[in-house]
Amino acid sequence: MSDFQELIKSFPKIREYVRDFFVYGFKTRTEFKEKSPRTYDNQRRRLESWLTPYVRKDYVQKGSNLSLAIDSNLLDTNPLFQVWKTKSFTDNDIVLHFLILDLLQDGKSLTAEEITDFLLTRYETLFDVQAVRRKCNTYAREGLLCKQKSGKTIVFSLDNSLAEWLKSNQNIMDALSFYQMAGNFGIIGNVLLEQLDCRNQSFRVKHSFFVHTLEDAILFDLVDAMNKKSAINIEIKSSKKEMKSTANCIPLQIFTSTRSGRRFLCGYLNGSKRFTCFRLDSIKKVIPLDESSEYDELFTKLMQNHPRLWGVSFQSHERHHLDTLTMTLHALEPTEHYIVERLNREGRGGTVTRIARNTYRYEITVFDCNEMLPWIRTFIGRIISLECTAKSVEKRFYADLYAMYHMYGIASDNIDTTNASKK
Amino acid sequence: MELFSEIYSCYYRVLRHLLCSQNPLTIKEIYNRICQEGFEESLLSIVPKIESGAWDLFQKNGDLYLSKLSPFFTTPLSALEKSYLKALLSDPRIGLFLDEKQRETLWHMLASVPPLWKQEQFCYYDRFADGDPYQDKTYRQNFRILLEAQKKHQYLDINYNSPKGNRVHHYYVPVRLEYSVKNDKFRVLALEQNPHRQKKLEILNIDRMETVKPTDKILSSSVDINSIIQKSYYKEPLKLHIINKRNALERAMLHFANYEKNTMKIDEKLYECLIYYNQNMETELLIEVLSFGPMLTVIGNERFLKSLKTRLKRQRDLQT
Repeated sequence: MSDFQELIKSFPKIREYVRDFFVYGFKTRTEFKEKSPRTYDNQRRRLESWLTPYVRKDYVQKGSNLSLAIDSNLLDTNPLFQVWKTKSFTDNDIVLHFLILDLLQDGKSLTAEEITDFLLTRYETLFDVQAVRRKCNTYAREGLLCKQKSGKTIVFSLDNSLAEWLKSNQNIMDALSFYQMAGNFGIIGNVLLEQLDCRNQSFRVKHSFFVHTLEDAILFDLVDAMNKKSAINIEIKSSKKEMKSTANCIPLQIFTSTRSGRRFLCGYLNGSKRFTCFRLDSIKKVIPLDESSEYDELFTKLMQNHPRLWGVSFQSHERHHLDTLTMTLHALEPTEHYIVERLNREGRGGTVTRIARNTYRYEITVFDCNEMLPWIRTFIGRIISLECTAKSVEKRFYADLYAMYHMYGIASDNIDTTNASKK
Repeated sequence: MELFSEIYSCYYRVLRHLLCSQNPLTIKEIYNRICQEGFEESLLSIVPKIESGAWDLFQKNGDLYLSKLSPFFTTPLSALEKSYLKALLSDPRIGLFLDEKQRETLWHMLASVPPLWKQEQFCYYDRFADGDPYQDKTYRQNFRILLEAQKKHQYLDINYNSPKGNRVHHYYVPVRLEYSVKNDKFRVLALEQNPHRQKKLEILNIDRMETVKPTDKILSSSVDINSIIQKSYYKEPLKLHIINKRNALERAMLHFANYEKNTMKIDEKLYECLIYYNQNMETELLIEVLSFGPMLTVIGNERFLKSLKTRLKRQRDLQT
């Protein structure tokens, strides 16, 4: 174990491990089949080190299970942000980072040669001018330093006015405390907050799905391509079949489920000329291609399709263009009006009509009614009838319902099978 | 711009704090700082680098380590951080935090910076349609009063319209402001002023508040909010069996990822999951379980099982 390093070079490798430990907190060493036992041991030791307060060990027959016990109701930040703070570096990297930034704190502009001289005279550290120039150029690209031409020479300087303004502004720290938990790229808000030596003590986020921060590097590449209106090539690994594939598409929008935190890329496939969605956690790599001349037109078309989308599917199994689902519900008036409110609030544009006392009809026409089933099931106990032009949806709903009656020992012999007979 | 970069690393943060120390540090003080702020095993990596001088950032004076940096060292913002801030300026909720003048100042400082993302690039397709009115002046005022009071542990005089339509008037001290991504709403976790009762968290929707007025009273005792939440959980968790069909296992693991849970494998196709919850979460958890249909089987607790069966019986009765 002497060569064990707490920090790592590459994020994609650890991404899979953290996800597995987080999502499937029940795999033992022998069940991680893709990697050697030694790799598993090192990765496991790293995770234990980074996420100590949240790691739980359970001893089972085949060994110990490592899982992450994270209750989002109790946390002021996302513990998995730690994984983003593990990038390895060289001794020169860290020394140059602090000395160059310290040297330039007063706002003066210096050439790489002058910086090298000052590092020796002021800090008694000797560096090769090439190494200093390389670091300054990297930091200019990262935005930490300003790079300007002064006559024939290149000078580097540092502008701390924004950092100073932020430090003196409590309101922005409150905003960052909130957005690091609840917004896109929360990890950036979190590092900014740490940089300002502040931490969230005011906000909690309900329905927060911490694991998805692991997809933020992929999201970053996708948003970058969207900003440039360019096409991309993506490498995908299906979690179900463990199969790898690639696709060329024009990335248009990120679809996010607030119920599971799951995110999808919605893109346009040039080959099949249709919109489709890819789960972000299945995308392993994004390669930018050329700018798309039809980007704005495709984005407008996608917006026109939105009212017909229930979730992320643009096509049903039955290959109909559109299907209509009608659900009739019982809601006692006036005490159960919250059911009607739920239909309006959660029904994504479907119409809600009162058809009789205590009886309401909800109707919607979408691309894929199959996606609606989980939501429809949340009304179990109130559904008088369910009809859908996609018969497989009706069939699945009733088959699942009967399976549930059976599972919980609820007699269903004398049920009116008018709807069920349509299966 | 790199998201996974050493400039955002834990080691750089620990070192910055050590280097900005006003006083020379003993090695013990350095140890303590690393233990507080670093990872579990960071000590083993950082200390040898400082002691050997490989990270030549301190001057050694006897047993003391003196930083070579100015104590006023400030890390400038990276392009990524600036771009992130610029994107936040277009978020509808930013007005809850920054007033118009502050937003203008920040906008001006970031004039040449492109936003990291644009609002229209994201679609929250299953978010509830009745989110809070973030542009409303009274809502913003109430939000700011609540946030200030939360920080000062100050009691507030709140007039509130309860979901049942009753007007409630009480003195509360806000303990946390809770945002729901799904509901797109802020709620306040608050303690009611009542010296005779055990501290119990009340949950109040900000958009249901008619008036919010600060008082002079400050909560003198400290509040361990996590302990209050954990004490509110039922002793017996929800016990589920998950049949790994139609990708139900992964869906369930992700879906219930926001709860404290523990999952065990029973056999090749069957998994057991324990979920810890309280009365406030009960209805939501029940409909989440129902949404999975027969892929999840509720084994216990009795209370949850009874609620589930009641819904199914009611459904059966509607069909007969």
